[in-house]
Amino acid sequence: MKNLLYIIIFISGWGYAQITPEFEIGAKGVFSGNLNFNSDESSAVSDFSDTQLLMGLRQKLYNDWRAQFVLGLQFPDANSNLGQVFYNNIFVRLEDKKNIFKVGRTLAQTNLNEFPTLRDDDAQRFTYALNPFSDGVNTERDQYANVLEYARVFKQRFFVSVHGENFYDSTEPDDFRLNSMGLTLLYRVPESQRWNRNVLQEIGLSYNNYFTDRSGYSNDFDASVKNLLFSTTINLKPDPINFVDFRFQAIQNFGWDEVTTLNDYFDYTRTESTTLFGTVRYLKQKLERPHYQLAIGGGYKSLSNLGLDSDQFMFIANGFYRLGQDFDIGLQYRYSDNKGLTEILFGKSEHRVQLALVYSFSKIFNKQFGDREDLLNLEHNYIK
Amino acid sequence: MDRRDFLGTGAASTAGMLFFPGNLLAESAKEENKQRLVRQLPYTMDGEWKEFELYIDLHTHEPAPGFKYHTLAFNDMVPGPEIRVNAGDKVRVKFTNRTDLNHTIHWHGLYVPWRMDGVPFVTQLPVMPKNEFIYEFVAEPEGTHFYHCHWGTLMHMQAGMFGSVIVENPDDPIKKKFPYEREYTLVYSSHDTNYIREEMNSMLERMKQRSFLMKEGRFTSEQWAVFDNKEQLLDSMEKGYQPPYLNNRRSNSDLPQANWFTVNGKSYPSTPYLFIKSGENIRIRLINAGAETHHLHLHGHDFWMVADDGVPIEHPWKRNTVPLTPGKTFDIVVEGKNRGIWTFHDHDTRKVTNNGLYPGGNLLALVYEDLPEDELIISKYSGNPMYNPKAGMSDMKGMKSMEKNEMNGMDKMMFGQDKLPKIALDE
Repeated sequence: MKNLLYIIIFISGWGYAQITPEFEIGAKGVFSGNLNFNSDESSAVSDFSDTQLLMGLRQKLYNDWRAQFVLGLQFPDANSNLGQVFYNNIFVRLEDKKNIFKVGRTLAQTNLNEFPTLRDDDAQRFTYALNPFSDGVNTERDQYANVLEYARVFKQRFFVSVHGENFYDSTEPDDFRLNSMGLTLLYRVPESQRWNRNVLQEIGLSYNNYFTDRSGYSNDFDASVKNLLFSTTINLKPDPINFVDFRFQAIQNFGWDEVTTLNDYFDYTRTESTTLFGTVRYLKQKLERPHYQLAIGGGYKSLSNLGLDSDQFMFIANGFYRLGQDFDIGLQYRYSDNKGLTEILFGKSEHRVQLALVYSFSKIFNKQFGDREDLLNLEHNYIK
Repeated sequence: MDRRDFLGTGAASTAGMLFFPGNLLAESAKEENKQRLVRQLPYTMDGEWKEFELYIDLHTHEPAPGFKYHTLAFNDMVPGPEIRVNAGDKVRVKFTNRTDLNHTIHWHGLYVPWRMDGVPFVTQLPVMPKNEFIYEFVAEPEGTHFYHCHWGTLMHMQAGMFGSVIVENPDDPIKKKFPYEREYTLVYSSHDTNYIREEMNSMLERMKQRSFLMKEGRFTSEQWAVFDNKEQLLDSMEKGYQPPYLNNRRSNSDLPQANWFTVNGKSYPSTPYLFIKSGENIRIRLINAGAETHHLHLHGHDFWMVADDGVPIEHPWKRNTVPLTPGKTFDIVVEGKNRGIWTFHDHDTRKVTNNGLYPGGNLLALVYEDLPEDELIISKYSGNPMYNPKAGMSDMKGMKSMEKNEMNGMDKMMFGQDKLPKIALDE
């Protein structure tokens, strides 16, 4: 009890006046009416999944370091088995000019690109290296993990990171040991400089090694599921009014040779597969603000090790129109098609039309110091 | 040189900004103080024109040791260099814009031709990135004035775009009334360094896009938010244009709240010292180039108010506190009548802070050069019997024969050397 008291006194700063941190609040509300035309049956759904709230507190530390605490929650799909609310971001981040440490739950490095879809998981089977420990009931367990990550930054835009993750294991939900490790190399142009890059915005490579229990293999490495991601974003038309970019990601899952059929989602994530996904996006800006955006894209996934020819295809197209500050109206059409054994797991095909109202907001209050990617820091001498 | 001296010299030359108390009366202190005073801009003669060159560029500024922020600085200094001319001189200022932002120069208080007044879209077009503008005028009226950027004034001025203009009268009535040899220019300002950073980032981002469109000939008046007349604006609005001040377009929700206060671009403990001698008059030119009022108070003296906005006051009057409102200049004369080290500070003590912490900001000192070093010794003249057993004796000041009462170990640990003044950063 006495020790606890000391800890509380230490944390509360011995009663000294506190420096008020930077306080960031972000919110995203995605409200859509969905019309699903399945090969089996059709349905209409009112959907507000992917709606989320994010709060961040950031402070300057001694010796030019900074720390940030982030807490975020998300409203998942009703049948996701995650309850009413899923805490998708609970992490702390420590950084200086060259180093970034991250500990806690957040997005894993199993996706290196942000594709222009209505919801983050609209093309999830094509855009993420999937969690081989998940039963596939929800998408959040593929996207988020408890991570331990270190990144080294070179020349403002080269990021080399080593990371370990604890992905949720549906069969052992109370096991919090790291069950994945990986290495990511990423070249990324800072946000404020992307619109006028002649060609390359981003290119990256990520290797993820999931320590699965593969029967018959005693060596951890041999027993693991291995994924390699390649991602790039290219400016097709760098222009402040009519901007066009192309995003592409390929995922090679080296899988287990012995998985030749799909009995469940575990098999789907553990068999060998090659996934390609790409989008072309046109963004019209008016008076230095987004006016509307049109995107078209598609994905193909081949599961070559299965006994029966199996592949998946997706086509997606959407448009968003800005109604005013922070509010957009959007329309998205998605067609997905599954062949071979994937048809048994996910159904043959589906047409989905969604009409959505999207609210997105992010603001930092009590802003006290510049960001790594501020133009002033990038182009006019970095101030620690 | 012993180790202590070596450390002192090393620190002074690397920090460059901090006085060491023991050195305040030394020649080197006066030499170092020049860095804290405005610097005069040299000119060349072209016929009968005095030609000055000013450029503006992004600069990393350090108002107090250890705190740096990005500024817009004339000739890489905040404030910009002082332009000093005689009344009636023909002045030509070649202004080069080295930044990616727009700027102009307004000559505050000077009778320039209206096309030289530096107000964008009223008297001239803005000086675009990498462009230049040549300002020409006859220097009048006499007195203390200043120049500043008149583009995006709310941000550009507090970001550092200001400097003094002194128009001298060879037959100066003030000098006749109060003969003086030395004078000081003190340019006051206040800065919300967070606002400056955010606005500069946002302006630089916008200007990159605008420059791109300009080069391609695709820039329109609506993108520029500049219209030939009200009819054109209303016509645009009829067709769907929404002015940026509407809350669904663009508005900055937070107006600046100054967190740094500077004199000649410096905050305490980097602020300048005003040196004076007993019996000497010094003239101080006070300029407020910021957006806050400063209630300047001098300890131990009254001073003469001798000029208001550069205009000589026919019948000067005395006071010890003066409210220096935004855009205002006052000239004061201090008579060296009370030997010592005297604080000259903003009596709105919210402005004697650095980033919210007292003391800092607009805190500087009038220093008598003829002050005997002996008087700086704490234990000799302290009113505290703990340091000085003879405290409270009326003739304390004259106690030449007093035994040396050096501070004991505890005091030394708390207060260092047995000498004043010291640099206090957190009272």
